[in-house]
Amino acid sequence: MVESPIQSTEVDNAMNGTDREKSQETASVDKNHNKAPQVTGGKGNNGAQVQDDCHVTTKDFSIFYGDNEAVKKATLSIKARLVTAIIGPSGCGKSTFLRAINRMNDLIPGCSTSGNMIFDGLDIYSPQVDVVALRKRVGMVFQKPNPFPKSIFDNVSYGPRLHGMLKKSELEQIVEQSLVRAALWDEVKDRLHQNALGLSGGQQQRLCLARALAVNPEILLMDEPTSALDPRATAKIEDLISDLRGRYTIIIVTHNMQQAARVSDQTAFFYEGILIEMGDTKPLFTKPREKKTEEYITGRFG
Amino acid sequence: MELEQTMNSTADRQFNNLLLSKKALRFQRMSAFVGKTFLLAITSLSSVAVLFIFYFITKDALPFFFNEGLGEFFTSTNWYPSADEPNFGALSIFMGSGLVTLGAIVVAVPLGISAAVCMSDVLPFEVRQVVKPITEVLAAIPSVAYGFFALVVFAPALQNDGNFLLSLSAWIILVPVSFLAVVVLGDVVADRFEEKYYNYIRYGIFVSGGLISLFCLLKTHTFLNSLEITSGTNALNVSIILGIMALPTIISVSEDALQACGRELREGSYALGATRVETIFKTVIPASISGILAAIILGVMRAIGETMVVWMASGNAAQIPKPWYNYLDPVRTLTATIAGDMGEADHVTGSSRYHVLFAMALCLLVFSFCANLFSEWIVHRQQKKLGLAK
Amino acid sequence: MKLSTRKLLDKSFTGYGIFAIILMACALLLIIVPIATKGIQAFIFRGTIEYRKLRLEKFEEGNLKKVNAELKGSQELRKPIYDMIDQFEKDIRELEYEERREYRKELREVKKSLKELFGPAPGDHQPVLWREQYGQTRWDRAKIKIDQVLFFEEWDYSNPDKMGVKVLVDRKSLFKGTSLEPLFAYVEKHAQSILQPKLVFYWRFLFDESFDAHFFGGIWPEVLGTLYLTLGAMFFAIPMGIIAAIYLTEYAGRGLFISLLRSCISTLAGVPSIVFGLFGLAFFINSVKVSESKSVLAGSLTLALLILPTVIRASEEAIRAVPKTYKEAALSLGAGKWHTVLTVILPAALPGILTGIVISMGRAAGETAPIIFTAAVSVGKPLHFWETLSQPTPALPWNIYNLCTEHEAVDEIRHVQYGMVLTLVALVLILNLAAIILRARISKKLKG
Repeated sequence: MVESPIQSTEVDNAMNGTDREKSQETASVDKNHNKAPQVTGGKGNNGAQVQDDCHVTTKDFSIFYGDNEAVKKATLSIKARLVTAIIGPSGCGKSTFLRAINRMNDLIPGCSTSGNMIFDGLDIYSPQVDVVALRKRVGMVFQKPNPFPKSIFDNVSYGPRLHGMLKKSELEQIVEQSLVRAALWDEVKDRLHQNALGLSGGQQQRLCLARALAVNPEILLMDEPTSALDPRATAKIEDLISDLRGRYTIIIVTHNMQQAARVSDQTAFFYEGILIEMGDTKPLFTKPREKKTEEYITGRFG
Repeated sequence: MELEQTMNSTADRQFNNLLLSKKALRFQRMSAFVGKTFLLAITSLSSVAVLFIFYFITKDALPFFFNEGLGEFFTSTNWYPSADEPNFGALSIFMGSGLVTLGAIVVAVPLGISAAVCMSDVLPFEVRQVVKPITEVLAAIPSVAYGFFALVVFAPALQNDGNFLLSLSAWIILVPVSFLAVVVLGDVVADRFEEKYYNYIRYGIFVSGGLISLFCLLKTHTFLNSLEITSGTNALNVSIILGIMALPTIISVSEDALQACGRELREGSYALGATRVETIFKTVIPASISGILAAIILGVMRAIGETMVVWMASGNAAQIPKPWYNYLDPVRTLTATIAGDMGEADHVTGSSRYHVLFAMALCLLVFSFCANLFSEWIVHRQQKKLGLAK
Repeated sequence: MKLSTRKLLDKSFTGYGIFAIILMACALLLIIVPIATKGIQAFIFRGTIEYRKLRLEKFEEGNLKKVNAELKGSQELRKPIYDMIDQFEKDIRELEYEERREYRKELREVKKSLKELFGPAPGDHQPVLWREQYGQTRWDRAKIKIDQVLFFEEWDYSNPDKMGVKVLVDRKSLFKGTSLEPLFAYVEKHAQSILQPKLVFYWRFLFDESFDAHFFGGIWPEVLGTLYLTLGAMFFAIPMGIIAAIYLTEYAGRGLFISLLRSCISTLAGVPSIVFGLFGLAFFINSVKVSESKSVLAGSLTLALLILPTVIRASEEAIRAVPKTYKEAALSLGAGKWHTVLTVILPAALPGILTGIVISMGRAAGETAPIIFTAAVSVGKPLHFWETLSQPTPALPWNIYNLCTEHEAVDEIRHVQYGMVLTLVALVLILNLAAIILRARISKKLKG
């Protein structure tokens, strides 16, 4: 299943043009046949059935920007329904790795991968993989709050609408549900139809979270979600992460080691593109196995 | 929780597999390909239009060159297209286009570039916010309105009070210029001598130079007042109006170029004790010279391609002014000839009289193409240079 | 150089720059002010009794009784004039042939200018043209005509070195001692009470058809033609321009082909507008034959080509200015590329695109050269919508040119020319203003 990275990028580019039509088509296929067609032999598990199991595993996974290897042969597995933090000094490839999980790196010209990244029993970089379906199941929250310049309601309902949910009542339900989960409902329920850009930074970030939750993903990727926020808003987001644990697999990239220690169950430490150490958070912070980890945690560099 | 269930059920319904069937994959690739090709086709259509223009203009221009040859067209000044034995000597018409374009550049370039420098380096932000709309309005006024102004307002004014206007503008321009020239000359010359003579020499030059320039000014004044302006619709009129029309282009493009060269460069120069004008002339303008050149070329293209103003206000006489630099004579330009003669030539589609206009259009087209290539090349070269510098 | 000299140079250069800007502002004022002040006179002017008579007889507008009463008073005042002429004609019959012929010639001139001022004399046969059926309808024109009754022009060649000089000669001097002499004083004194000028607000100038080659009426066919041409051009240029911009920003790579396309587009932007006109004639009309001869359709297509590069550039810039994070967010929610473009990128780029569109609309409305050979005619009725496919139309820019250079009585209809120019300039400037306001409002809305 290992594909040449260049080819996979090409395929993705070719596919992007009609993602919308296709995603609808797949949805209708699913309705008709309960068992969706599978080409290669995965385990065929639905994500929902994976309990306490490894949700995403990588094997010798590398990411290249042109000739530059940003992530070098990382092998790790991320446990389902837990919070995994990725830490490391800036430029260590942690964000790149995170973005690789829902193939956001495809947008960057000249970016390619090698090795395997297995999600739901499939290598997500295989050419037959439907990127749109992948991204629907792997949601993402970005470093800076990036709500669309639309109303709050339209922001949250963007994803569900995209995936074929058009009934007003259903949409209203799901918007409320998502905003409640993102602890934003009480603050915005009276102004759902105002422009989202009028919210404060922290509210915007929670709105982005709600927007990601509205498509009901299995995995939530968070790329330094609090780096642009003040301490109070940061605390709110951290509380949210704790609330969401057990329901979603959360992978969070952070600069802030205290944050990693506070919110995560597992921690992975990257240094210069290499995965130095990964394990349960507590032991990693108290008794790191590697010298580099210890040096980073104790603040000798980074 | 009811809500929870709804959500999960919708999720289940949509729970699609990550993999695509071969058929779906093929369909996806096909539709992506078709979509992209469609976009590309539309894009190419809009770009290929320019090739179409070249093709169709050339197609109708070639019969003229085959029938009448190149020699007369480019070298003779006999322009009698409707005579029984027609002559198609377009030299005077080329000359007319050249003259008004040159005139427009002489009017627009000094004004435009100094206004651009002023806007980017001198004026405070609030004033710039007021000046910017002025250039936008000047750019927006339709050319036929400029032509109307040139014909109905400016030409009579030029015909009746032309001498006064000319000498007034000569005074306004030349008095400060000659004053500065005398002061600077005195300073530069006196600097070469010993300190104790400095003031004597300086004032000596100042007084004598002032007298000489005053004399020259008076001479100019009498000369301008003795000129006879037989018609207000002449090359001068058109040059001034075209200059005003080219101003906004020149200002906005060169201002962009001046702003692009950055604050650090200016600060570096100021830190060495340069005055503002020295900073501008010695560092800012050399750094942004390619953008300014591009602006001038765009201005030239605007002036040479303009039809209505020259058609209405240039006098439309197919002659070379005597002497050739006499801007007070009427001229005729390529664009005006095309616009004016096509109405009559259209009835005899296929004759040399019809095709000669396409030959002129081809010349305009080739000129604008070359000018465009040249400006692109300049900008490209500059970018490369900056890229290397980094 | 001494520091003081350097500082002087510095100051004077700054002064020069400011002078250049002030000069530019003055040029703008010099152009706009006469157009605005004289253009407004097409809408607001002092209309004479002849104007009211014309409106009444030709359009059945106005108060019949009132106008008739006014007319009666006017005619009573006119009577002495024609009586004097009759008397004079009788008088000169007694004279010698030579003298009689001389007086007859001069009298003809007087009668002609009187006819232009007051309309046909009582008892004359009714002329065909409207302009000859009535006297001066506008008081500003009437004043000029009064002067023509009182004076005539002569060229003075007394100085052989100089060009001839125009001088005005009092007509009274020609008729010294005759029974016609008091006429001139009478006309001068009573002209205003004969013509009874009243302020008229003729807003329908925009929406009336023109009559008798623009001597009377409004400019609706031209306005409508300009609207058709502009909207037609936008109809073709907007979709093509936006699609091309989307392709160039979102899909195109950096290959040789793409850079070739880009240079084609920038060349297209530099093609002189008259060449577009010739191309429209050679391609759309002579080769593709979108219509038999000139038509609004052919003109719109030509104009569309002309503004296409502007639309593409503006849209491209606007799309590039959309933050990359919007795109990332949409993609991370599982939107396809095309869907992202349609639902996120285009809405966010809309203000910029709209601004570009509105500005190029102004450009399309004002361009003349491309429509000379493809769409414009001097005289025509307002078109129905379906006629645009095959019929040519009058249009503001072309008719401005036509009226001020090729019309048979250029000086008589200055007010119409100025009115047209004002309408066109106002249209274009309003479009530009709309672009600025639109940009400000939508970007404010985007900021929340």
